[in-house]
Amino acid sequence: MKPRPPTMRGKRRYILARLDPPSVAVSGRDLYYAIAESLTSLYGDSGMARIQPSVVSCTGGYAIIRCIRSTEGQVSACLAAVHQVQEVSVAVRSIRTSGTMRSLRQHLAGMKPRVPCGEQDAYFQGRSWTGVQYPGAKVDLFEKGFKNQQPLFLTEEDLEE
Amino acid sequence: MRCTDACVYPYPLGDSTVRRMAQEAGELGFDSMVAVGARGCTYKGVEVVGGTIIQGRDQREVQAAMRRIDGNPGILMATAGDYTLNRALLHVGRVRVLQGIHATPKNSFDHILSKMAAERQVAVDLDLSLLVSGRDYARQKALQRYADLAGLQSRFGFPFTLSSGARSILQMKSTRDMVALCGLFGLDEDGVGGALLGIAKILRPEKAVEVVE
Repeated sequence: MKPRPPTMRGKRRYILARLDPPSVAVSGRDLYYAIAESLTSLYGDSGMARIQPSVVSCTGGYAIIRCIRSTEGQVSACLAAVHQVQEVSVAVRSIRTSGTMRSLRQHLAGMKPRVPCGEQDAYFQGRSWTGVQYPGAKVDLFEKGFKNQQPLFLTEEDLEE
Repeated sequence: MRCTDACVYPYPLGDSTVRRMAQEAGELGFDSMVAVGARGCTYKGVEVVGGTIIQGRDQREVQAAMRRIDGNPGILMATAGDYTLNRALLHVGRVRVLQGIHATPKNSFDHILSKMAAERQVAVDLDLSLLVSGRDYARQKALQRYADLAGLQSRFGFPFTLSSGARSILQMKSTRDMVALCGLFGLDEDGVGGALLGIAKILRPEKAVEVVE
């Protein structure tokens, strides 16, 4: 069987999205389920079938989501409405839309890496925390001795006060 | 002040400090934000305007709450209620923003109050957190009310403000996300641009005659 020629294939759009906080590792499959749930809740099953979303890649705190052309606005709205992935609070922020994955990857290559630049013990509001530092003087505080708790989001100036 | 998130709740009301929220707001495309319970300041180029929310079931409770405010409350926002309360809130000169219209009866904000809000430059806030965290009926009701308000706003021209209602940096929305979410109830990109200017409009209203050097 001959493959369908490119001109007869459905046109796609690719959306680059940033996942926050960077400390949470989200798998592509979990992200897809969260997006599918959000899309179905906003546009119903027929909308989901029309949009045909798929998570193409999900690494390093960024994800590339594919959809049918002209539905990218709806996908952006559904990404903005995603607030949890596997019961962990996450923000999915669409950054850029493109017709090819290559241009998104080029854009991604020019962006700063989102890796922690240090870890320190911190004392805030009378309690002990582990502080994870990120570029831009950002500090995420995780309380010691508690698992799966929500972090506090501060800056280095807040810790110094 | 051209792009403002009209209501965020920094630490201790939320899990992120006002500085971190301001930094995040700058990265998300805002140049200012209204922080409830915070003092006005500028951090990393983002102007933070303090805000106070007053809540009352009737006019008497609202006025009592206003008397209790000491010092500079920043932008005074009031939670909307039934028609009588909304009318009273529009008459009170100090209230600049009406919040929580989605939770009020359908007839509580009509064309008469729209006209009054336009004359007195009292803004109506659209809280986008309801579209994110709400589900089923709650979200549908909010979308219906916001669509209704968008229709009234285009006709009478009262100021709109857009707020993320964020208690964490994870709940803050970028301007791009706000455009996408507002598309759900029919507010177009120009409308969103006008709503992001809402706080600037009520803080620095246009004068009939202005001397430009």
